[in-house]
Amino acid sequence: KTIGSKVSSGLQDMSLRDRGGRRRDFHDLGVNTRQAMVHVQESKTGISGKMIKLTTNHFRLTSRPQWALYQYHVAYSPEMEARRLRSALLFQHEDRIGKTHAFDGSILFLPKKLENKVTELFSRTRNGEDVKITVTLTNELPPTSPTCLQFYNIIFRRLLKMLNLQQIGRNYYNPSDPVSIPNHRLMVWLGFTSSILQYEESIMLCADVSHKVLRRETVLDTMHSLYSQVGEERFRDACAKELIGLIVLTKYNNRTYRIDDIDWDNNPKGTFRKSDGSEISFVEYYKKQYNIEISDWMQPVLISQMKQKRGNIQGSVALIPELCSLTGLTDKMRSDFNMMKDLAIHTRLPPEQRQREIGRLLTYIQKDDNVQKELQNWGLSFDYKSVSFTGRVVQGEKIFQSGNMFDYNPQFADWTKETRGVPLIRAVPVDSWLLVYSRRNYDVANTLLQSLLKVTPSMGIRMNRPNMIEVDDRTEAYLKVLQQRVTPDTNIVVCILSSSRKDKYDAIKKYLCTDCPIPSQCVLARTLSKPQTIMTVATKIALQMNCKMGGELWSVEIPLKQVMIVGIDCYHDTVSGRQSIAGFVASLNQTVTRWFSRCVVQTRGQELVDGIKACLQTALKHWSKWNKCLPSRIFVYRDGVGDGQLNTLVNYEVPQFLDCLKSFGTDYSPRLTVIVVKKRVGARFFAEVGGGLKNPPPGTVVDTVVTRPEWYDFFIVSQTVKNGCVAPTHYNVIYDTSQLKPDHVQRLTYKLCHMYYNWSGIIRVPAPCQYAHKLAFLVGQSIHREPNLMLSDRLYYL
Amino acid sequence: MDKNFQEEELTQIIKFTPPLHKQRHQFVKDLVEKFKPKKVADLGCADCSLLRMLKFCSYIEVLAGLDICASVMKEKMHTLSPLPVDYLQPSERTLTITLHHGSVAHKDPCMLGFDLVTCIELIEHLEESELKKFPEVVFGFMAPKIVVISTPNSDFNPLLPGVMLYRHPDHKFEWNQAQFQSWALETARCYDYSVEFTGVGYPPTGMEKVGFCTQIGVFVRKYPQTDESVQPEKPNEAVYKTVFKIVYPSLKDEKYLQNAVISEVIFTAQIIKHRFMSKQEEHGDDPERKFKFQPSTDCFSDYLGKLVVDKNMEPFVRGNEVYIPLATIFSFPKVSRLCGTFEKLCKLIAGKVTLSSDGSAVMFNIEHENEEN
Repeated sequence: KTIGSKVSSGLQDMSLRDRGGRRRDFHDLGVNTRQAMVHVQESKTGISGKMIKLTTNHFRLTSRPQWALYQYHVAYSPEMEARRLRSALLFQHEDRIGKTHAFDGSILFLPKKLENKVTELFSRTRNGEDVKITVTLTNELPPTSPTCLQFYNIIFRRLLKMLNLQQIGRNYYNPSDPVSIPNHRLMVWLGFTSSILQYEESIMLCADVSHKVLRRETVLDTMHSLYSQVGEERFRDACAKELIGLIVLTKYNNRTYRIDDIDWDNNPKGTFRKSDGSEISFVEYYKKQYNIEISDWMQPVLISQMKQKRGNIQGSVALIPELCSLTGLTDKMRSDFNMMKDLAIHTRLPPEQRQREIGRLLTYIQKDDNVQKELQNWGLSFDYKSVSFTGRVVQGEKIFQSGNMFDYNPQFADWTKETRGVPLIRAVPVDSWLLVYSRRNYDVANTLLQSLLKVTPSMGIRMNRPNMIEVDDRTEAYLKVLQQRVTPDTNIVVCILSSSRKDKYDAIKKYLCTDCPIPSQCVLARTLSKPQTIMTVATKIALQMNCKMGGELWSVEIPLKQVMIVGIDCYHDTVSGRQSIAGFVASLNQTVTRWFSRCVVQTRGQELVDGIKACLQTALKHWSKWNKCLPSRIFVYRDGVGDGQLNTLVNYEVPQFLDCLKSFGTDYSPRLTVIVVKKRVGARFFAEVGGGLKNPPPGTVVDTVVTRPEWYDFFIVSQTVKNGCVAPTHYNVIYDTSQLKPDHVQRLTYKLCHMYYNWSGIIRVPAPCQYAHKLAFLVGQSIHREPNLMLSDRLYYL
Repeated sequence: MDKNFQEEELTQIIKFTPPLHKQRHQFVKDLVEKFKPKKVADLGCADCSLLRMLKFCSYIEVLAGLDICASVMKEKMHTLSPLPVDYLQPSERTLTITLHHGSVAHKDPCMLGFDLVTCIELIEHLEESELKKFPEVVFGFMAPKIVVISTPNSDFNPLLPGVMLYRHPDHKFEWNQAQFQSWALETARCYDYSVEFTGVGYPPTGMEKVGFCTQIGVFVRKYPQTDESVQPEKPNEAVYKTVFKIVYPSLKDEKYLQNAVISEVIFTAQIIKHRFMSKQEEHGDDPERKFKFQPSTDCFSDYLGKLVVDKNMEPFVRGNEVYIPLATIFSFPKVSRLCGTFEKLCKLIAGKVTLSSDGSAVMFNIEHENEEN
């Protein structure tokens, strides 16, 4: 064994210790993509737009001049196995190594250099065994080394613990001041996310407010209420749907577990084998170990798969529902509008309040003597004032619709009013269509029809009277009608549903997306029940129907010629066998108003990227059919990339794209740009306006100070939010042979955020990503297999 | 017999399962089960592992640790903090855990009034001068009902491989059975305690006379508890430094109780409302369901079956509001268990839950129900 390999694995261990599982590198440290792109070596910043003064939630980390971290390897002779014993033996010599140290069992970090390169220490175990400890200097780490960065994060977590914050998952929360939402049995803890990274010019702490939603009920409580809701037959299914994938906390330790399965054949009387080999029942174990009496002996047992444990043992843990509390929100809760509204009051903090909360964390750090002492011992400190810099607000985009050009108020990022009643770029006539409704929705159906007939002419949509079909309010009745009445000439099917129950919707979508590929539009009766909003609703439905049939609504100016824009996003199904689905959307025309859409349903043992490669191939064929040539530029906006997956993307997915392009012949070499899109980022920007803090306006681009030196990356704030803080989207150009200036890539990206036809305004991500998301979501939630390719030239999934 | 062979044989024998330190902790735990003390102090608590185990003992309301070394306590002290679940479902009992930095040779009033004081593998670390003061501090000053003292038995040492002088380099002495017992008996006599000797770590068969590997003395105070309020003010000032103090969330604390009650009341009311509304819509196709894996009476469905009996307790609609009588909500065992009395229920939710004008029912507005974006 070489020391080097041991050293690095040791550090990983150390960063993991907090959570007890091996984990990947969340910050994608050490993936240097910029060095391969010559045209951005000098500068990756754009130039256009107005300057804007911004502050952020980043704080500079400062250290003494000539600061270094000393890394030692610690060996024991004879070999000592237990980490605790190793620590205990080593720390008998605090007089030599000092009181400030970080030790994971084999690697020791010290803020000072020991006198000699090799130090020998002698300890004695409780059993009287003499042990020689050899402490060898292996590395002098400069402040910017990746190891050091990891180390800062470890130390910072230590500080948060010293502040009496509670760790849940990756973040730390303050348990003393929770917000209670009794209507939904929820409790919200305020906490912080933090990461320390090397940014453009300096190492900074990025701190953000985080809210943890905890639930006052145990898993058993939830099972009880599910039982009373759905009854015996659907009970197990309902439990699986509701519970699998959720994260639970236990009554007896401070760990989080993910529910992966429910073992209905087991119960608390069942036994398991302890690490010493003896068998014990759950009831006995919890009584003996924690003095906890399990009251319900008939409940099933939850199964949680352990991620790789020390020594690479894969295993699972059994948990008792009664002893587990739920955290987070289920999909069902997320779709509960009232609940989300109640939650938003507490979690959507406006800019000033958010910055104040973050400031509070920094104040805690500054005021706590122990924390300050720890920092001093390591020779570290923070700038307690957040970083300020200037960003740019790029020019607003003009919206074009059939020869008309629209300006709109850029503050609102919305052109609904401006474009109302204006002919669409491409209005698809609705000659033959079905309107299916149940008896009690007869009036609603008529209202919808009348309204549609009223709003469509000004859009340029020719609409005939539909086939009105009344059905029983049962899934089978809807399906039967579709089977009998849909003909190859049918343009679209509109179904009015009386409840948001998923099974009916799923069945309709499944049939009309696979077996009988016809665009469909489902409308909830409730949304049509208010006379004051019916026109707005009908307008939206008409636009949506038009897109689903291959229509085009508006466009922005796209200066590049012969360009194909691709968007990719993934959906991970947690319920049915954990399928992963990738949505793939590629533009088909010059104006980027028509799209080719496909998706990849991952089968066992197959990588998503193989399917993506095949999609790219067909997309290129379609593009060439539409344009009579192959595109000379391809932009791929890749969403759905998890933390720590960047490396795989760079080393595996991008080569696959290139491989695919090669298959079109040696003389075909288009310019390819691959951009990773990330919505969930810790960075927040605040515009300084008149002494206060506001959300930055749409079009704000940040490509300095808080970006990463090893990447060609930038942030864009494209959307507006009604309340709370706007979240910037992070774009990381990981591959680029376009030769375009950063400014142009940024502008193109921002333009594409205007092109999502389900929303007449600017959205968070480029439209192809949102389309890909919509498609993957529909397939993952309702269809579960690849939709019929006949539909692939329309936005049938909107 | 070959001497070498004999030693080897012994090395194999002297392996305790479970390990000795666990056996010591289990001994204390068993003692706690037996005497059910409310206030327990661990002197020489080191990395707090005993305290960590004792916090799960449901009789204990006050736990204190004392150690001469602050850094060893600090390293693991956060594991004594409440778990998130302790906040989510506050317990009935109260629990306060405090860690003090100081010496057992000094008196500090914070150590008064304890039921059980444990000194596990402590005394052998004391310097002679400290050991001299120790009985007066623990038995004379703290004077708890019970004191447990464990220490290595040096009679056993020849059976332990590799032990030359003492088992640990920091040990200042290790006593044989006679030495420990005479010290203990003298101390007990002096401070009016009775003492019984026992231990953990059985000697190998045939060598029973060496005694337990760890010898333990359990001291029980012979005189009754002096009433704390009557007890003359002891003139000592605080000399220990508090390094850690945490109060566990408890339903005895009005704040937590109120939150729990409000939460339970609103939640229960919503369930009743939901059932009531869907029954109205579907004209009561609600067969009584028995919960398969729990025949308990806690089950909502069972309860709703009974509710219908009393007309006055039924929910009702008036205009855009639905009313759930408090009496109905109180009839749910979870709610009544939390509040105790109906009056207490009313008092706790006053001003926090929207009620009907006469205060007898929880009111929900159903106009904006199901509003969607």
